[in-house]
Amino acid sequence: MTEPRDAVELEGITKTFPGVVANDDVDLTVREGEIHAIVGENGAGKSTLMKILYGMQSPDDGVIRIRGDVVHFRSPKDAIARGIGMVHQHFMLADNLTVLENLVLGSEPRRGPALDFESARTRIVELGSLYGMPLDPDELVETLTVGERQRVEILKVLYRGADILILDEPTAVLVPQEVDELFKNLRRLKDEGVTILFISHKLEEVLAIADSITVMRQGRTVATVSPADVDVHQLAELMVGSELPTPETTESTVTDVVELSVVGLGSRNEDGRWDIEDITFDIHRGEVVGVAGVEGNGQSALVDTLLGVRRADAGSISLAGSDITEASTRDRRGAGVGIIPADRHRQGLLLPAPLWENAMLGHQWLVPYAKGPWVDKKGARDRTAEIIDRFGVIAPGPDVPAVALSGGNQQKLIVGREMIAEPSLLVAAHPTRGIDVGAQADVWDEIRNARRAGLAVLLISADLEELLGLSDTLYVIFRGRFVAQLDPRTVTPDELGAYMTGVGVSR
Amino acid sequence: MTDMRTEIETSSAPAWAANRWMRLAALIIGGVLLLAVVQSVSDTSELTTSGTWAAALRLSVPIMLAGLGGMFSERSGIVNIGLEGMMIAGTWFGAWAGWSYGPWQGVLLGVAGGAVFGLIHAIATVTFAVDHIVSGVAINILAAGSMRFLSVVTYTPESGGGATQSPGIKSQIATFDVPVISDFFNWLEAKRIFFVSDASGIIAGLTSNLSWLTVIGLAIVPLSWWVLWRTAWGLRLRSCGENPYAAESLGVPVLRMKYYGVVISGALAGLGGAYLVVVQAGIYREGMTAGRGFLGLAAMIFGNWNPVGTMVGSTLFGYADALRLRQNEAVHALLLAVAIVLVLLAVWSAIRRRYTPAIFEGIFGVLFFTWYITTDSVPSQVVAATPYLVTLLVLAIATQRLRMPAADGLRYRKGEAV
Repeated sequence: MTEPRDAVELEGITKTFPGVVANDDVDLTVREGEIHAIVGENGAGKSTLMKILYGMQSPDDGVIRIRGDVVHFRSPKDAIARGIGMVHQHFMLADNLTVLENLVLGSEPRRGPALDFESARTRIVELGSLYGMPLDPDELVETLTVGERQRVEILKVLYRGADILILDEPTAVLVPQEVDELFKNLRRLKDEGVTILFISHKLEEVLAIADSITVMRQGRTVATVSPADVDVHQLAELMVGSELPTPETTESTVTDVVELSVVGLGSRNEDGRWDIEDITFDIHRGEVVGVAGVEGNGQSALVDTLLGVRRADAGSISLAGSDITEASTRDRRGAGVGIIPADRHRQGLLLPAPLWENAMLGHQWLVPYAKGPWVDKKGARDRTAEIIDRFGVIAPGPDVPAVALSGGNQQKLIVGREMIAEPSLLVAAHPTRGIDVGAQADVWDEIRNARRAGLAVLLISADLEELLGLSDTLYVIFRGRFVAQLDPRTVTPDELGAYMTGVGVSR
Repeated sequence: MTDMRTEIETSSAPAWAANRWMRLAALIIGGVLLLAVVQSVSDTSELTTSGTWAAALRLSVPIMLAGLGGMFSERSGIVNIGLEGMMIAGTWFGAWAGWSYGPWQGVLLGVAGGAVFGLIHAIATVTFAVDHIVSGVAINILAAGSMRFLSVVTYTPESGGGATQSPGIKSQIATFDVPVISDFFNWLEAKRIFFVSDASGIIAGLTSNLSWLTVIGLAIVPLSWWVLWRTAWGLRLRSCGENPYAAESLGVPVLRMKYYGVVISGALAGLGGAYLVVVQAGIYREGMTAGRGFLGLAAMIFGNWNPVGTMVGSTLFGYADALRLRQNEAVHALLLAVAIVLVLLAVWSAIRRRYTPAIFEGIFGVLFFTWYITTDSVPSQVVAATPYLVTLLVLAIATQRLRMPAADGLRYRKGEAV
C-alpha cells in the first residue's frame, strides 16, 4: 500500500489470425488508478489487445497479470469477475428496454422470482451520483442521446463492480461537447480509484486526458510515453512510423484532359449530418488521385456518392464534360465508371454464384453478357474465361462459385471484370486489402497499365505505400473534408500523419 | 440524494399506471356507448346481447391463447408463424386424451402436443438458424399432415370416429355462473334501458355459463404480463428479442431463453387448440382451427406484442365472429360502427397533425358509411369474411404505431457480435 500497484500487466502477448499477426510480443503495464491511453492506426492491433484483456479472445502466447495475479480468461465472464469491464465502440444496448432494465440485465436483484425494482433503482441512483453520471432509471434507452447511452454503458460496467475500465474508441461517436462531458466523467471515475484504458487514434484528445500513452504500430507496442514529454507531432510520427516507403519513379502520364470533375460535393447521412462536405477535385486522364485518411472519415460516402448509390446533397459531378450528378448508378456504369469496392464480399461479389454471373455484374445489360433482354450465357462464359486468362485468376473455370476462390483471386476477378470493360474512370477502394503480395503486385500493375492508357483513377487506401507509390496527386480526407492536397513525391511522414489525424488542419 | 430517489419512485410508476387504466376504462365505456347508439339506429338487436357476448368470449379465448403464445416466442426474438400448426396439434391431442381419459387430461395433452411442435420450431430456428418463416410454414404443413395420419391410425376403427374426426370426448369441463353478478345483470338487460341494458348484456354475457378453462385462459393474461415484465427471467427473455448480443455480453444464456420462449409459445397455442375441443366442439374435426393460429398472430401484432393488447385484439375477432354466427343484420350494423370508428380516428389523427393516416382513415370511413347506407344487408359470402375484413382494416391502421421486438425474426448465432 506504499506505492500504486500495477493494475494490469501484459507480457509478450502474441495473437495471430490466419495471414495476419495482430499482436506481436506486446508488453503493456497499466498502473492502478491512472488513465492509460493506447493509440495507433486502424489495424495496429489495439482492439485485439483489448479483446484479449477482456477475455473475448485468448492469446496464442504471453502472460496476463491483474494486480499481480496471473490470470487465464476464457470468456468476458472471467474478466468481469476480476473487475474488468469493457465499453464497446458499438453500444450493446436494447433500445426498447429502460435504462434500469439494460443495467441490471444478467445480474438482476431479486425478490423471489420477481425482479426487485426498488433496490435496482436505489443502486443505480447511488452509482450515478457517486460517479457524477445521473440517469433516470425508468427512461427508455431509445430516447437517450448518444452521450447518455455511453453513460449507460459505463454504468453497466460499474454496476457489475468493475474497477478496471476499457473504453474502445469512446469518442468516435460523440460530438465535441459530449467529449468534454465524457472526459469530466472519466476524471471523476479516476478520482474514485477506477483504472481506465482508453483506446483512440485522436491524438489531441489523448494528450488531454491520459496519464500515460502507449503507442502501437503493426501489432507491436512502439513506445510508452508521458503526455508531458511529447507533442502531437512526435506522437503522430511514432504512430505512423518514420520509415515511409520511397515512391516509385515512374514517368508521369498525366494529360491535360479532365475526365472527372467534382465541385463542392456534399452528402448527408440519415441523421442530417454531413458525411462528406465541400469536396472539390479533378482527375485528368492518365492520372491517379490518391485519398489518404484514417478510416471512417467519409471515404465510403465519397465512393457511394460518386457511384450514385448515395444522393449528392450539394455540389456537382461531371464525367468527361457531362454532368452526371443526378444520373443513376447504371447510367454512370454505362458511361464508363468502374468500381473496385472496399468490401469485396459484401459489395463486389455474389459468393455462391458462378464466376460468369459475377463477371456480368455491373455490365449485365451489355454485350457480350446480354443479347437484347436475355442473358447471353455463352458470351458471358467466354468473356469470363478471357478474364481468368488475361488477369491470371487461378480458377478451374467460369462455372465454379466465387466462394471457391481465394481472396486474392476473387479480387483479381473483380479487377478483371472492371478493367476488361475499359472504363474511363476507375474508383478503387482499398484494391489490395487482405490479399497476398503476389496478387497485390498484379493489381498494381493493372492499375499502372490502365493509367498509361489514359484511365483516370481515384485510389482510396489505408496502405500508405500503395498510395505514395501509385498516386500522382494526394489528398487527405478528414471528417468528410479534403484538408490537404499534397505531392506524394515530397510529403514527409510527419506531415501526412499530422493531416490524417487532424492535427495539421489548423496550419 | 435520498430526496431524488423518492421523487423518481413516487412520480413515475403510479401516476403513469393510473393514466393507463383511465384510458382503458374510457375506451371501454366509449365502445359500449358506440354499440348502443348503432344498435338503436339500425335494425339489429344482437350487438350487445348477453348471447352474442358469451359467444364472443368463447370464440376469442383460443385466438387469444395463440396470440399470447406468439408473444412469448416473438419477445424472445423468434417469429412464430407455426402457431396454427401447434394449435392443430393441440386440438388432436386434446381430443384424443379427452376421448380416452377426460377433458382435463385432454387439456394437459393438448398443451404437451403444442409444446412438442414448439420444440421442433425451436430446434430448427434457434439451433440450426433456419429462417423463421420457412420453419413456421413447415410446422403448419407437418402438423396438419401428421394429425391426419394419427387420425387414420387411431380413430377410423372407432364408432363415431374417422379419418377426419374423432369420437366425442368423455365429458365437458364444468361451467358456472358468477353468483349474484350474472343474475343481476341478466335481469337488468331485460329492462331495455338505453346504454344501461346494453352494458348489462355485455357483463351478463361475460359472467354467465363460464367454463373453468375460460377462467384459466383469461388468468394467463395478467400472469404472462407479470412474468415478462416483472421477473428477472422475463427481462432476460425480452432482452433476447431486443438485442441478443447485448444479452449475450452480459451472460444471459440467449439460446436457452429462446428455447423457453418458443416452447411456451407452442404450449399456449396447444392450450388454445385443446380449448376448441373441450369447451366448444366436444370432438376433433380436421380443419377446426380454421386459421385461428394466424388470427392469434394478428391479434398479437394488433396488441403491440403486449398481453392486454393481444386480449383486446382477440376480442375484436371473437366479437365479429360471434355476430356473424348469430345474425346477418348485426354484421350490417357493424359496418356503421366501423365507419364511425374510422371517422373518429381520422379526426384524432388530424388533431395530432398526422395527415396521411387521417386522409386514409377518412376515406375508408366514408366508404364504409356509403356501403352501410346503400345496402340493406351484407352478402352472405362477405359475412363469412367479416372478421377477417375487419381485422385487416384494423391492422392496417393500427400497425403505424406498433413496435415489434427489435431483433424479432433475425438470425442469431452465438458469439457473432461485432
